[in-house]
Amino acid sequence: MGSPTWDEFAELALARVRRSGAEYGDIRIQHRLTERIKGEDRRIASVCDDEDNGFGVRVLYHGAWGFAASSVLSLEDVPRVADLAVELAKYSASIATEKVQLAEEPVHRDRVATPFRSDPHAVPLEKKTRLLLEAMEVLHNEPDIVRSTAEIWWCRDRKRFQSTEGTVLDFDLLAVNGSISATALFDGRFATRSFNLPYLRHGYELIEEIRWPEEAIRVAREAVEKVRAPAVEDGVYDLVLDPEHLSLTIHESCGHPSELDRALGYEANYAGTSFLTPEKRGAFRFGSPPVTLVADNTEPGTLAATGYDDDGVECQKWDIVRDGVFVGYCTNREVARKIGETRSRGSNRADGWGGVPIVRIANIGLEPGEQTLDQLIADVKRGIYIEGHGSYSIDQRRYNFQFGGDAFWLIENGRRTHMLRDVIYHGITPEFWNSCEGVADRSFRRRHGFITCGKGQPVQSGWMTHAASPALFRKVQVIRGEGGS
Amino acid sequence: MSLFASNPWPKMTSRDEFRFLADVIFARSSGDHTVVTLHDERAGTTRFADNRVIQNVDTRRGLLTVTVSFGRRHGTASTTDFTAGAVQGMVARAERIARAAPEDPEYLPPPDPRPFPVRETAREETITNGPVRRHEYANEAMGLCRMENLMAAGIVSSSVASVGVAANNGLFGCETRTEAQFSLTVQADDGTGWSAAAHRSIDHLKIQERTLAAIDKAKRSREAKDLPPGDYPVVLEPAAVAGLWSWLIWALDAKSYDKGTSPVAGQLGKQIVDKRVALSNVPDHPDLFGVGFTAEGLPSEPSQWIEGGCLKQLAYDRFTARARGVKSIPTLESPIFSVKGASFGSVQELLKQIDRAILVTNFWYIRSVNLRDLTLTGMTRDGTFLVENGHIVCPVKNFRFHDSPLRVFQDVGIATVPAEAVTPEAGKMLAPAMALPRFHFSSVTRF
Repeated sequence: MGSPTWDEFAELALARVRRSGAEYGDIRIQHRLTERIKGEDRRIASVCDDEDNGFGVRVLYHGAWGFAASSVLSLEDVPRVADLAVELAKYSASIATEKVQLAEEPVHRDRVATPFRSDPHAVPLEKKTRLLLEAMEVLHNEPDIVRSTAEIWWCRDRKRFQSTEGTVLDFDLLAVNGSISATALFDGRFATRSFNLPYLRHGYELIEEIRWPEEAIRVAREAVEKVRAPAVEDGVYDLVLDPEHLSLTIHESCGHPSELDRALGYEANYAGTSFLTPEKRGAFRFGSPPVTLVADNTEPGTLAATGYDDDGVECQKWDIVRDGVFVGYCTNREVARKIGETRSRGSNRADGWGGVPIVRIANIGLEPGEQTLDQLIADVKRGIYIEGHGSYSIDQRRYNFQFGGDAFWLIENGRRTHMLRDVIYHGITPEFWNSCEGVADRSFRRRHGFITCGKGQPVQSGWMTHAASPALFRKVQVIRGEGGS
Repeated sequence: MSLFASNPWPKMTSRDEFRFLADVIFARSSGDHTVVTLHDERAGTTRFADNRVIQNVDTRRGLLTVTVSFGRRHGTASTTDFTAGAVQGMVARAERIARAAPEDPEYLPPPDPRPFPVRETAREETITNGPVRRHEYANEAMGLCRMENLMAAGIVSSSVASVGVAANNGLFGCETRTEAQFSLTVQADDGTGWSAAAHRSIDHLKIQERTLAAIDKAKRSREAKDLPPGDYPVVLEPAAVAGLWSWLIWALDAKSYDKGTSPVAGQLGKQIVDKRVALSNVPDHPDLFGVGFTAEGLPSEPSQWIEGGCLKQLAYDRFTARARGVKSIPTLESPIFSVKGASFGSVQELLKQIDRAILVTNFWYIRSVNLRDLTLTGMTRDGTFLVENGHIVCPVKNFRFHDSPLRVFQDVGIATVPAEAVTPEAGKMLAPAMALPRFHFSSVTRF
């Protein structure tokens, strides 16, 4: 007699849930394999190969939730955990003042797999470590470079989602990333420049398509130029933001406020709420007319395009902001009905078998415009071109934000000139997006992903991708990121 | 209600079981050195918002990690599956990595075996009563808020974990650790108030006291007034102080110090903050999360990091410590930040002495702006007030700050004795509330 299959475990758990009288239940069984190779200062500091197996059972009993999970996938633990989830749901129901009602979703039976050409697990470790060591060596060829990092990461999830409604979904998902950074020291100052792959659902080919030595030469030179660059002068500037930088701006100032659970107060004690309250939907001018932000969990290769979410809802594409007007939320089956929607947008995700699914930002991207990047810059008399991610902070309703960046260039009279350092800009979200005057065309569109978006208690990490073409913002307040007052 | 009577907590990995697992791994490993760590945890959270339970979760996760080395080549693998085949597979994966990895010039063998301090890291009441108490406490907090027609959002959580480290040179440590947490945000119209607690004992969360404090803050926070950004004298409550200090602690990394990329580079032995300020590690303090040993297999001992405002200690990795001839590596998991001569017992007592200042309950989303001088930014949150002539005059809209703890703590005014400071971003420490003569708020938000 062989080991029980995931089919048998799932049936065992869901049979207990059905017998309890619960109106809904699901189980996620997951096997996650992660490899992280970290280089630091010309050495391979660590290679970690992690296996994370377990399952979680979610139960809706008389309109209230219970969730239990375990890393022990056995014939003894599966029924114990299912019973515990029921018990927790019963307790929640005993003090419930309002019943959860799930939005309808068709029953699905499907299998979703990430297409890839090169399995990162099959790539010899020596090849991966050699790539990182050679990249760091190139970084240190620049005399002022004192520190370096280089990293390759990949993660493969094999997962089963099965519900009492009859949905059965199997997943085999892969994501890959790589990055390098260099820190230059000059005159008692230091500055870091980095190059990051965009975290995509691809195979190892994502790593192999990059000319790492060339990128390392550029990164090291720009780190040196950055540390020697003049500090920015406080003032009002036009900003041209590159797609990687915009991915973070979109994430923090549009993505989070568009999560409906936040707008309804679910995250009030930690991640915060949202200034995009439900009455604003369809009526609030979030940005200028060129600003259209679309959630697309169907775009191949992006992190949230998993076919189905952890409610078993099919991934979709919808508008968050259309021609500057706020029109849509990221939702799950629980909160969708609270704003009168009949179907979830399919944005409910857990960060593994041990986490309960919560509403997550979708793959929200800024729709391209019609200009070239040169045309955007040519229209700027005094401005700054910003690449990459730096410091970032935003209030708990997502109004007041402050962003830095990884690299900054002064724009004067329509031309990008020399680098600057210590650039910080701040503003109020809708005022900022209403200052957007143009977006570059589709040929400039790039994607960047996130795997460390913190939300929920216990905190979970969300995965999503934000795409954009460079965009021009007028009259933004810039301050020098140094000193106190 | 006989909640969980039919579903007792499963037995966690015991000390003897961990020793057995470690011995099995050592027998399977062909490495020169083999180090095993254990983190077997059961944790539950009752989460509420809008005065109702929105999540009720309970998770058991066991994690074994092994690092195998051949000379200076090393590899690490982990698994959540404790069956014989999976453990054997984990060792094989670590060995495969170690054989293929390049030599690491900074690799060091595991620390020599030594007895670890035995501390009261687990409280039986948290293990036994945790799940039931979570529900009772959540209900109590929501009930108190409902009585005032206010909205409550928060968590009550409890956990028990078996934590171990072992190496094939004889190093061995295993202890049980418990933790309980409560945090609450109360909404009163457009105002919010917050409070939090964390302790090894679930009996020490002071739910009623904390809830009433959050309710009071929320009610006082209604209809916040606009004040312009600029430099203000401030009174920071312990959580706000801890938020800034956690970044200063981060800045004490010894390797960055040596490379010149630390904001305190060249400052060891010199005064970096006000002469009355001290920072120490007090692992035996009953209100802190002291441990017997670290994941690296180092003992946790009392240590002094800042004394008389002078930087006395850096945070060493083992390689940097050896390179600098540091024999005993200090840890800082139980920090107490104090101000010499501080005598006020509470924030309320301290406020009576304040002519004019902004009172900050907590900071949110603190991030570095410039690591050279440790300029940080962040927002005030859940209780920001104007204080005049010893009294709270009105709530004010939340500010963004833009300042460095290395600057603002140069000149510390009156302060309280260290008190519990728990934040989601900084964890737990004991820190005083304190008055600072000048703090830079760079902008204001809409609420």
